[in-house]
Amino acid sequence: MNKKLVSPSLKRGLTFGIVMIIFVLIDLDVMVATMLSKLFGANVIRGSLPDVGFMVLFLILFGMFVGWSTSSDDAKPTTKLFQALVAGLTLGVVLGLFDLILNQLIVTGTDVRKYLAALAPESIRLFLFDQGAISPLLHLGLFTVASLLGSLMKILLKSESASRFFKGVKSGYQGLQAKAQANTPNWVKKYGKFLLFLLIGLLAFFLPRIWGSYNNYVVGLVGLYVILGIGLNIIVGLSGQLMLGFAAFFAMGAYSVALLNAPLPHGIMLGFWPSLLIGILMAVVAAVLLGLPVMGMRGDYLAIVTLGFGEIIRILLKSDLLTSFTGGPRGIQDIRGPTLFGQSFSSDIDYTYIILVVMVLSIFIYKRLERSRTGRAWLAVKEDTKVAQATGVNIMTNKLLALCLGAAFAGLAGGIFAARNQFTGPNDHQLMVSMNILSILIVGGVNSIPGIILGAFTLKGLPEILREIENYRLLVFGGLLVVMMISRPEGLWPATRPNIEKDEGNKLKEDGAPGKGGLND
Amino acid sequence: MLKVTDLNVHYGAIHALQGVSFNLQEGEIVTLIGANGAGKSTLLNTISGLLPAVKGKVEYLDEDITNLEPQKIVRKGIVQVPEGRKIFAAMSVMENLEMGAFTVTDKKLIADKVEEMFAKFPILGKRSKQLGGTLSGGEQQMLAIARGLMASPKLLLLDEPSMGLSPVLVEQIFDTIQSINNSGTSVILVEQNAQMALVIAHRAYVLETGKIVLEGDAQEVLQNPMVIEAYLGVS
Repeated sequence: MNKKLVSPSLKRGLTFGIVMIIFVLIDLDVMVATMLSKLFGANVIRGSLPDVGFMVLFLILFGMFVGWSTSSDDAKPTTKLFQALVAGLTLGVVLGLFDLILNQLIVTGTDVRKYLAALAPESIRLFLFDQGAISPLLHLGLFTVASLLGSLMKILLKSESASRFFKGVKSGYQGLQAKAQANTPNWVKKYGKFLLFLLIGLLAFFLPRIWGSYNNYVVGLVGLYVILGIGLNIIVGLSGQLMLGFAAFFAMGAYSVALLNAPLPHGIMLGFWPSLLIGILMAVVAAVLLGLPVMGMRGDYLAIVTLGFGEIIRILLKSDLLTSFTGGPRGIQDIRGPTLFGQSFSSDIDYTYIILVVMVLSIFIYKRLERSRTGRAWLAVKEDTKVAQATGVNIMTNKLLALCLGAAFAGLAGGIFAARNQFTGPNDHQLMVSMNILSILIVGGVNSIPGIILGAFTLKGLPEILREIENYRLLVFGGLLVVMMISRPEGLWPATRPNIEKDEGNKLKEDGAPGKGGLND
Repeated sequence: MLKVTDLNVHYGAIHALQGVSFNLQEGEIVTLIGANGAGKSTLLNTISGLLPAVKGKVEYLDEDITNLEPQKIVRKGIVQVPEGRKIFAAMSVMENLEMGAFTVTDKKLIADKVEEMFAKFPILGKRSKQLGGTLSGGEQQMLAIARGLMASPKLLLLDEPSMGLSPVLVEQIFDTIQSINNSGTSVILVEQNAQMALVIAHRAYVLETGKIVLEGDAQEVLQNPMVIEAYLGVS
C-alpha cells in the first residue's frame, strides 16, 4: 500500500490518541463511563467509580468511531479496513506508551493530583482496567479491533444493499403512516389535537405530584429558562436587537419580589402576586430607561451597551452604597412564596404548576405577537430599517415595544425565581445568566418555540440531570456550541415559517428568460 | 401637489442639497436626472422624511410636511420605493406586499390590493409563497414597486428603478411606471437612465452637485445640448 493511504490514517490515529490522553488527564473518560453506566441503569453514587466494563465499552465506542471516521467514503472495502487498521494500531500504540507512564505512576505511588486535580490514582487504575503492566497490550488490541469493527460497520451500513434496505424501511413506514392516517376515524382527527393537549395537561398535573422534588426543581428551572428564552427571543429574534445584558431585567423582577415580600431589609410584605406585578413593571421601566437612549444603536454597539447595562445593575445590587436598601453582596433571604385563596401555595409542586402555567401563557402570548401586525413590523425592522420606515413602520416605538415586552417576560421569570429559591443575591444575575439565555436561543433555534424548549432543556436541564458533567460543563458547553455551529447552524430545532415554499428548481428554470410573463404585458 | 422650496440638507459633512426648489402638479411624472452624487436620492429621502432638512420647506397638498416622521408621511400618501430593489428578503412575496400596506388597517382593502397587484404583475402571483430573496433581479424590482403601490399612494417616489436591469426589463419597468401614472398616481422618478426617463416624464429637473441647473418640459430637456452631451451621450 502506498504512502498516501497510510499517512492520513496514521495522523488520524495520532490525533485521536492525543484527544484520548487529554480526556484521561482531565478525567473525562471516567465521567463518560459513569454516564454510560447510568444509561444502563446502574446506580453510581457520587464520587465512586463505575464498573470497569463501562470503561471498556467507552473505549470500544471511541475506537469504533475512529475506525468509522478514518475509512474514506469512496474507498474499496479492503482499503477501508486497511485505513482503520492503521489508525487503530496508531491509536493503540500512542495510548500504550501513555499507559506505560500511567502504570509507572501507579507503581511508584505518585499522586499527580497536585498538578492535575482530576487525575486520581483510582481513575488511572480504572482506565488501565486494573491490569497493571499488561494494560498497554490490552489497549492496543482493543483499539485495533474496535477500529476495524467501526470500519466494518461503515462498510456494511453504507453498502448498496444496506441503503436499499433503509429505503425499503422508509417507504414501508411512510406507507404505514398513510394507511394509518386514512384509517383513523374522523373523531380522532377532529379532536386529536385537543386530546393530546388534554393528555399533556393531565401529565403536567399529576407528574409533579409523583416524581419528587428534585425533578420538580429541574423542570421548574427549565421552565423559567424557557420563559426567559421567549423574552429574549422577542428582542433578539423578532426585532433583531442583540441584547447581552438580559439578566438585568431578570434581576429587576427578582429584587422587586425580594424587597417587597421578605422580612429583611424592609419588611414590606406586600404579598407575592402584587410584588410579582410590580417586578414586571420595574423590568419594563428599566427597559424604557435603557431603551430610550440606545435605540439608535445597532448590532455590536447595542450589544456592548446592553452588556454594560447588565453589569451596572449587578454591581449596583452588590455595592456598599446600596447595602441598606438591597442587602448588598449577601442578598435577600427568606422571600415569602405565593398564596392562593388564603392558602399557602408555595410547595415545590405548586411552583412547578405556577411555572408551567406561566410558561404556557408565555408561549401563547409569544405566538400571538409573532403573527400580529407588530410581529410583522419587527421582522421588517430586523431586515431593513430604512425600507421598514419607508413602508410606514415607526422604528422607535416598535423597537422599544420589543424591548419592554422581552423585559416583562424576564421580570416575570425573575420574580418567580426569587420566590422559589426563597433567596436572591447579586450572583444570581451574573453575565453568565445572560449568556446562558442567549445560548439557549442559538443552540435551540432562534424564533422557534420547540427550539427554545429543547435548548433550555439541553443547557439547563441536562447538566442538572447529568451531575457528573458539572466539572466539565464549560468544556461540554463550548464543544457543543462549536459542533452545533458546524452541523446545525440554525439550531437544534430551527424555526419553520408557514406559507413559504422553497421553489429553487422552478426559479432556476425560469431565470434564463427574465421578465417572461412579468409586468403587465 | 408637492412644492419644495430652498431645501438644504447635510449628509454628514457634505452639503448634499444646496437650496433646491421644485414642484410637481397632480398627475405628473417629474424626473430628476443627474450624475452620481448629485443629490437625487438625498432629495427623495428628505421628502419622505428619512433625512432631516436643515433649511427650506416641503409642502404637500398645501401642508408643511418638512421633517415630519417617515411613517406619518407614508400615511399622507407619499410612498418611496428605495434604490437598489430593497425588498424584505426573508419574507415571502405575499408578506412583502402585506408589509407595503402596513399603514392600511382594512383587511378587505389589503386583499383587494393584493389581487390588483397580482393582476398587474402576474409573476408575483405565481411566486406569492416564495421568499423575496429568491426572486430574480427584475422580479425583485417589480415586487418593490408593487409593495410601494400597496398603500395606494397619491405620490410615488421611485429611486432608480432601472438600476442593474437588462434592457428588456428596463423597458417593462418604464411601461409599468407609465401605466401607474395613467391610473392617477403622481410620480417622482429619479434616474440615471435619462433617455428613458425623459421619454415618459412630463417635466424634468437636472441636478448637479446639490443644485438644480436646468428645468423644463421633458421634451425640451431632451433636446437641450448640455443634457445631450452630459447625460445622453453624443449619438
